[in-house]
Amino acid sequence: MKKENKIASFFGRLFGNRNKQLSFMEEEQLQSPTRMIVRNFMSNKLGMTGLIIFLCIFLFVMIGPKFFVLDLSYQDNTQTNVPPISTMLSVPDELDGNVKDITPGTTYGVGIDNDGKIYTWGYTRVTSVIDVGEIPKEVQKAHIEHIAAGYDHIAAIDDKGNVYVWGSDRLGQDRLPDKIVSAMNMKKNLNFKQLEAGFQFTAALTEDGYLYAWGNGNMADIEIKEEYQGRIEKIALTTYSCVALLDDGTVVYTGIKNNAIHDQMPEGLTNIVDISATGNTVAVVNENGKITIWGNISDGIDQVPEMAAKPVELYGGLKHYTALLENGEVISWGNDVHKQATVPAAVNEKDIETVFAGFYQNYAITTDGETETWGLKGYTLGTDDLGRDILTRLVNAGQVTMTVGAIAVVISLIIGIILGGIAGYFGGWTDMIVMRIAEVIGGLPFIPFAMILSAIIGTRISVEQRMYLIMVVLGVLSWPPTCRLIRAQILSQREQEYVTAAQAMGVREKSIVFRHILPNVLSLILVSATLDFATCMLTESTLSYLGFGIAPPTPTWGNMLNGANNSIVIQQYWWRWVFTAAIFGVCTICINLVGDALRDAVDPKSNGR
Amino acid sequence: MAKYVLKRIGYMVIVFFVVSFLMYSIYNLIPTDPARAELEPLKMSLKPEEYEERYQQLRDEYGLDDPIPIRYARWMGFMKDKQTDTYHGMLQGYFGYSSLYKKDVSVVIPERMENTIFINIFSTILALAITIPLGIYCAVHKKGKVDNAVQVVTIIGYSIPVYIIALIFIWFFAVTFEIFPVSGSQTPGASYTGIRQFLDRLYYISLPVIVMTFGSLGGMTRYVRAAMIEALSMDYIRTARAKGLREKVVIYSHAWRNALLPVITVIISWFLGIFGGSVIIENTFGLNGMGALYYAGLMNRDYELALAIQMFYIVVSLIGQLVTDLSYGFVDPRVRIDK
Repeated sequence: MKKENKIASFFGRLFGNRNKQLSFMEEEQLQSPTRMIVRNFMSNKLGMTGLIIFLCIFLFVMIGPKFFVLDLSYQDNTQTNVPPISTMLSVPDELDGNVKDITPGTTYGVGIDNDGKIYTWGYTRVTSVIDVGEIPKEVQKAHIEHIAAGYDHIAAIDDKGNVYVWGSDRLGQDRLPDKIVSAMNMKKNLNFKQLEAGFQFTAALTEDGYLYAWGNGNMADIEIKEEYQGRIEKIALTTYSCVALLDDGTVVYTGIKNNAIHDQMPEGLTNIVDISATGNTVAVVNENGKITIWGNISDGIDQVPEMAAKPVELYGGLKHYTALLENGEVISWGNDVHKQATVPAAVNEKDIETVFAGFYQNYAITTDGETETWGLKGYTLGTDDLGRDILTRLVNAGQVTMTVGAIAVVISLIIGIILGGIAGYFGGWTDMIVMRIAEVIGGLPFIPFAMILSAIIGTRISVEQRMYLIMVVLGVLSWPPTCRLIRAQILSQREQEYVTAAQAMGVREKSIVFRHILPNVLSLILVSATLDFATCMLTESTLSYLGFGIAPPTPTWGNMLNGANNSIVIQQYWWRWVFTAAIFGVCTICINLVGDALRDAVDPKSNGR
Repeated sequence: MAKYVLKRIGYMVIVFFVVSFLMYSIYNLIPTDPARAELEPLKMSLKPEEYEERYQQLRDEYGLDDPIPIRYARWMGFMKDKQTDTYHGMLQGYFGYSSLYKKDVSVVIPERMENTIFINIFSTILALAITIPLGIYCAVHKKGKVDNAVQVVTIIGYSIPVYIIALIFIWFFAVTFEIFPVSGSQTPGASYTGIRQFLDRLYYISLPVIVMTFGSLGGMTRYVRAAMIEALSMDYIRTARAKGLREKVVIYSHAWRNALLPVITVIISWFLGIFGGSVIIENTFGLNGMGALYYAGLMNRDYELALAIQMFYIVVSLIGQLVTDLSYGFVDPRVRIDK
């Protein structure tokens, strides 16, 4: 009994009952309308659930963008249409501890163990029809010695010198050079020592320094200058070109095309011990540990960090470098979008023997044979057709959608309240004109009208201005219901005694409308604003879905669904629409639930007393 | 009554001209220059002075330098066209030239409208056949299990945008179970005739019709339910029950007739929507209707076409408002609209 009292008084204090237990009659008299509305609302389970879920989504999209920072210009054609996955770095248990070679692919990893067996993990479907995870039978049977993953193909060499290529072969990825083919036919082993793959091309180096390259010659530089043949120690492949380390410690560009790698190559590179390449740059390290980088520099890739010891080996991903130092420490730098240049502390506590880096992944092998990984694990909600992370866009889109909806509602409220107030209070001609305008605007088909406004005015302004335009168009077209509501309320309130009293006291008409009557209809305005908010969000998203709302790359829930209405996307790339549709649907349902519950709470008739 | 109708029509005409003038002004914000476009092919063969002269002459001919009200009057058909010296505007039935289809707009529209009407008639009838009985049932069994369930489902129905409903239905009916085609309005390449063609068309529009019906269920069911609850709470219902009338008679004869009043206005505006077509549905399902035509016009910057369709929408909505107003009087003899 005592305990109950305590709880009751706690709630009493919470809601301002000043410790006094009121009898039913007293309570009825003293309860203010606002408190009554709040109490009615709190007792509506559906409405409260809606409010809580909505608040969660609201906080998620308002705080979320601080963690999921959106780069509007970001695109990545190696990461398109990746489903929700988090296993891109998960080396299979059978391979772990017995790694011979690992070659990271765009969204997957391929590895071979010391017994020549091949493993793949991650998302191996590189296009809608090609799955590089489908390893050919003869490859599975062979004892694979070398492996390399390109953008859409995988190349492998077995212990007998046979070269295999699978994945996409549309652009000559499997068009092996004649010498390799004839050697394979004659069962002669060319003794390959290195195999590398780039964008639709592959390069293989033999023990006697002879280099072979094949693939899509239109894009990649697959010609090799004869003068370097037989002297090549090691090669490094950028996306389209090949650089080689010769046996005299110098570095040469093997091809014949003029590109940034060729043109910007520094003079006097001697005593080089290791070379490596990212997609657009080449890095070399000489015997003193000095690193030189050239090519199309971006993401601060030439800002080599301070190193505690001499770097001895270099490994290149697509946009980052990883270096292994003399003392066994590992350092990464360059683009860090997928955390591929952030070496976890756990890695440097162990003795690292070697590192396999590629695309956005790093695999470090410790001296005990264990595998440590860092870089791109996967995408929680997948990626879209431009390789952008859907989670990031979803969160940022929510912020845009809600902001646009809220501002549109505010605009429509301001217009509606002012015009409704004027029409309701003054009546006569003013009323007639305002209501006619409201009727016309309210009667026009909304979506087509907004579309033509956005299409015509939108051609003359920037993307950002277009966002404001949408807010204004939504606000200006959606005020009539509010206006009608306010007018009706004021018409009925005008006859109340408090207004007569105010008039008798000589209060100006403007303040009677806006300071005496308006606060009394505030709760109704709140209800209509809540429901309007959902409507505005729906309209904005519909316009954006049709391509007449907020223009990409600025994400909104509507334009993220633009282009989802074909059967390929609906079925194969389901993650591109399911999550967005779900969160948006839940959000509008919740707002409508809240609005409905509020209306019931405000309406005294629904109290049932 | 006649006086009231005349007054309304007069008002409608005024509103039409005001809105169309506004639309025309907005349309004129687009930076286009038909005179320059016409002269462009000749640019190389003319001397600069000659070109400039011809250009000015053309501008003058087209009346491009006249103030907007005068150009509007010409476009509407109040004033003679400068080129042809005839009345050649909207009022004379000339709706402009579609640069997208290389035809007059008045030729392009009718065919599309037939498609739209065909789809919308089905969905409207289907939706009414479901929502009205459902709304009545929910109102009679207020706060019952069915009512609560319907309330939740209808909230979901009207909260989710119709294109998301379309995506879900396509995924379910067209992609997963392959019951209906994903999009299109008839089997490609097939040249059916008669009843076969009709059935083929019906098969292709079933999914859009289902989606449209589902999308409009929520709002309408709630509307009917609210009107019915209002009617059922009236004193005359108590009287009718006190008289010992059967519940069926009370509901369908006394309550429903009174609830019909607010409902009928919505139904009428729905039927007028038949001509408009849904931009979203027609685009999502690749149907050749008015909505898709409007979309194509805007997307391809064929603004003359878009403007004509927009004018058509405005006329439909104004007529809708008029008919709705007048229908109050027909449905409910208590309402005297000519006051």
